[in-house]
Amino acid sequence: MYHINLKKEDWYSSLERLLLSYDIFVPVKNEFSLDYEPFRLSEAGYISYNTPKPATPLKNFFLPVRENVTAERMIEKPRIIIGSPNCDIEALRLLDEIYLDKTFTDPFYRNRRTSTLLISSDCFSTNEHCHCLSYGVKPYSLDIADIAIAVENDDIFLRVISDRGKELAAHFTPQQPVESNHYVSFIEQKRTSVEASLAAKNKGLPDYQATGQIVQKAGNDIWVKYASTCVSCGACTTICPTCSCFLLIDKPDFEKVKQMDACQYPGFERVAGGEDALFELPHRFKNRYMCKYVWKPQTFNAVACTGCGRCIEACIGKINKNELFMELT
Amino acid sequence: MADTANIYKPLRARLEEVIEESPLIKTFVLIPEREFVFSTGQFIELSVDGVGEAPFTPSSSPLVTDKLEVTVMKTGYVTNIMHQLKPGAMMGIRGPYGRGYPVKDFEGKEVLILGGGCGLAPIRSLLFTLEHIKDDLEKVILCYGSKSPSDCIYKPLFSRLNSIDKFEAYRTVDKTEEGWDGSVGVATGLLDKINVKIENSVAVVCGPPIMMKFGTIRLLEMGYRDDQIYLSMEKNMSCGLGKCGHCMMGEFFVCKDGPVFTYKEIKHNPEIWK
Repeated sequence: MYHINLKKEDWYSSLERLLLSYDIFVPVKNEFSLDYEPFRLSEAGYISYNTPKPATPLKNFFLPVRENVTAERMIEKPRIIIGSPNCDIEALRLLDEIYLDKTFTDPFYRNRRTSTLLISSDCFSTNEHCHCLSYGVKPYSLDIADIAIAVENDDIFLRVISDRGKELAAHFTPQQPVESNHYVSFIEQKRTSVEASLAAKNKGLPDYQATGQIVQKAGNDIWVKYASTCVSCGACTTICPTCSCFLLIDKPDFEKVKQMDACQYPGFERVAGGEDALFELPHRFKNRYMCKYVWKPQTFNAVACTGCGRCIEACIGKINKNELFMELT
Repeated sequence: MADTANIYKPLRARLEEVIEESPLIKTFVLIPEREFVFSTGQFIELSVDGVGEAPFTPSSSPLVTDKLEVTVMKTGYVTNIMHQLKPGAMMGIRGPYGRGYPVKDFEGKEVLILGGGCGLAPIRSLLFTLEHIKDDLEKVILCYGSKSPSDCIYKPLFSRLNSIDKFEAYRTVDKTEEGWDGSVGVATGLLDKINVKIENSVAVVCGPPIMMKFGTIRLLEMGYRDDQIYLSMEKNMSCGLGKCGHCMMGEFFVCKDGPVFTYKEIKHNPEIWK
């Protein structure tokens, strides 16, 4: 890992040159929030760095809501995605385990992963429901991403993480010498501040390991209580950076369309004979917690909740999973 | 992209023959476009073009690779349409998927098989396999139950099995009809009639969830250990690849980690009989 520094103007002109070879996405502030937009030099001023977090989870770049998985693939232009927070980057660890599984590799996911370069964004602030640290996820990337970005006024600092990141970093010119002492103290101060903010707002929230035990031990009452305002809309799973369940839909000529699905929808586990292990809403509601905090950790070497807090923000029933855990702790 | 590289793309197969097994159950004889190799107990996703696909364990011998038989009960949207198909139709096959029966571990043992209804389909494939290795087995006992004599599938199978050295086959029905020569009562009742050396035996259970549950309870009462009981689990398996999440049973993807589990592996999960 090493660092490079360049001026904002040079960063933008480098990106402009890279547009010839890549589709580039950047986090842009809009009327409601922050979300990914294609990079345009003329709109560079609207790019928001080091602020959490794009409304769209990063997974959508790799797992489209709907795609034909039997059609011949179009050759897609390589992509650079800038500004993903580490909660989204860490989620790829689980998605990679599932979709790049050695026995059955999903060729569509694999191709998108290999043709995408990730420039993660260190978080210098927190949103209301951010709680990554509670699940062992740092608010900055040291892995999985190719490069991480930190911006100080007119200076762009890039932390080069992977070999692919190194190749990409060579395109960012002209580079300034990195004043090591200044950079370290700047980054340390930001990290200390954001971690203190996360710790303060999530005081009392159990950590990831304990969460699994708590979910397992919880009686039925808590699920009935919190599911009482759930309308099975599936917003929590749709917006979740790690939820990746899908349904295969048959089309004529043996084509198959893969569509993102959600265990919160009625009938998710219904079999042809009519039996449905998740028929009752509180049971379906509990299933999501069991999957994230008990089963996935048993099966995969990755967290299934990275603490992004989007499920809390997205819930129209105002269900706050952190309140649920606080109540159980 | 080559067909083989795309895990979602089905292999086409021509429907050669449709055999009526019972009013609700048909066996589809398929000729895949290329050789199809599977292990007994593994399953396939069988699709009706443009309609849908569903998981089935082939009922034919895994030793036959140019022809595949799948026994299907008319029970839902896809199987209803499947039952209307005529010979000559093209179907789609994905797979084989999952972990089948560990037949190698059965060598030197008595194999007790408890089946119910359409659960006899995977069992028939297992029986073909066991017949092939019968010299390495002590004994094979089949106890099978169906609702009525007309619901009993593969009728000629029973007399054939009883003529094979080391094989015994028993049948029972919930409700008898005239001319029935088997027992009357639930399938687990047949377990009282058999002679089996439990310590050197494995038990295989395949059938409707209620039968699997009470069959397992009865086998445990008889003295079978939880690691001697093999269950073939039924779940909604959409992708078969351990990805789509529909078949999750606790920490397991039934499609990938199963569908065959020992009771020991899954007994900690109270939801398994649902």
